[in-house]
Amino acid sequence: MSIAIIGVAEVPTSRDPDRNRWDILQDVCMGAVRDAGIDKNDINAVISVNPMAQPQLSLDMALGRVPEVLGMEGCKDICVVNAGGTSTTNALRLAKYFIESGSARFVLVPHTTIQSDIPTEDLINFFATAPLDMQWEYPYGVTFNGAMGLLTNRYMYETGATAEQMASVTVSLRAWGALDPMSIFHGKPVTLDDVLNSRMISTPLHAKECNFLADGGGALVVTSAEVAQEMGKPAAYELGHAMRLLGATPVLRSDIFSRESYRESSKDALAQAGLQIQDMDLRQIYGAYPFTQCSALEGYGVCEIGEAAGIWAEGRCGPGGDLPCTTMGDATGRGHTGSGVSMAFYIDTVRQVRGDAGARQVPGCEHAIVTTAGGSIMNACTTVFGRQPR
Amino acid sequence: MSDYKKPLPQIQPFTKAFWEGTKERKLLIQTCGDCGAQIFFPRRQCPKCWSSNLGWKQASGRGKVFAFSVTYEGVEAAFREDLPIVLAWVDLEEGIRMQTNLVDCEPEDVAIGQDVEVVYTDVTDEITLPYFRPVGD
Repeated sequence: MSIAIIGVAEVPTSRDPDRNRWDILQDVCMGAVRDAGIDKNDINAVISVNPMAQPQLSLDMALGRVPEVLGMEGCKDICVVNAGGTSTTNALRLAKYFIESGSARFVLVPHTTIQSDIPTEDLINFFATAPLDMQWEYPYGVTFNGAMGLLTNRYMYETGATAEQMASVTVSLRAWGALDPMSIFHGKPVTLDDVLNSRMISTPLHAKECNFLADGGGALVVTSAEVAQEMGKPAAYELGHAMRLLGATPVLRSDIFSRESYRESSKDALAQAGLQIQDMDLRQIYGAYPFTQCSALEGYGVCEIGEAAGIWAEGRCGPGGDLPCTTMGDATGRGHTGSGVSMAFYIDTVRQVRGDAGARQVPGCEHAIVTTAGGSIMNACTTVFGRQPR
Repeated sequence: MSDYKKPLPQIQPFTKAFWEGTKERKLLIQTCGDCGAQIFFPRRQCPKCWSSNLGWKQASGRGKVFAFSVTYEGVEAAFREDLPIVLAWVDLEEGIRMQTNLVDCEPEDVAIGQDVEVVYTDVTDEITLPYFRPVGD
């Protein structure tokens, strides 16, 4: 038995401290249930994505507040899952257990993060300390951007990718974001010069190649592939799922660019689906920093090592290109909503596979491959989705 | 030295020897007495074989820059007066890769593959941080 996502909802990514956490949470929960075409009492479990840097909301979600507030009378149990950016991935895994075991027919997976009401200094501290080692990295002034700057520096050295080619990744991601009403950059594309002339944060990363912290929220309704078929509604069917762990601390990893983890996890997920990477109409890569958009194409086997940045520079992965990638925009083209980035990736993938992605719609998107990552790119969790069940 | 405002390494019982070493101008690598593994960063048990029979060997203090990043902004307040900060991953001759800072150099002169050596900075009476600097040609 496999699962399908049959309902999605989200709020536009923005910085709006007046929109409080529970406003968003209730809106996306109700929206996803309505989108699925079911009743609130049909939800049998609520598996929440842990909101990073939101301790009170995390506790509320962990201790049963969501179904209580929304009066979900058929809910049998709740949980909050935390694996950083791969929290949504893990929520789907747990949802699958509820569904396969017969405990749940429908599972609701919600997420909300608000960062705009947290002082900048606290956010810098959170993102500097949460994924970094307090003994071996933090005393040297390493930040999240700094760690990714180190990786990008080495990636460019090994592959020969130029600053212009790397900046072109952000140009394409922002082009997708510009077409997306859910992106904080909706209607705001950038040029190569905009990226290259933006402030240098941690070499070689310019400000526009780094994450913009924002508020957002989204929710998924998950059911079994069988029920989704009976309902006869457009859905995204999970066809394969596999993962690899790189390790917690960037400097200690051997697979520093995630390339081998992209390779192995995609190979396994595609084998389960009975498909090849060439069968994928869309590649959705959540790496939060542009080099991962390149190393993923190399790891997936779309191109040889060292070719990916050139492919992005040719515009082939952006709107109108022959290798559409990351229509969700990734954190740099969408706004970084903490653990919500992967939620937005799944929602965008569902929309693409269902054929309702609006101006970003990839023509004939039958199959999509999605890879999410948590921490400082500690893992690669790859899922193949299809318009039809396996 | 007591006015040092930046974060200090949070020392664990099994990493104490490393930080006592830097105070004495020694860069120590933890080693496993059973399987021979070199362990960085130091652990309570050997991550290869879970042995607790662990010891230390002194590194030469020489290495090469594997990757670097010059940070111009986005750091916590305590680091701001140090900007720009040169972050680096240094590969020690012994085969260990460390996060550190490059000092005594201009950021634009730093390059991958550059030869560097450890330089010890007493940031407090208790803590000496191992930074690295380029070795003259």
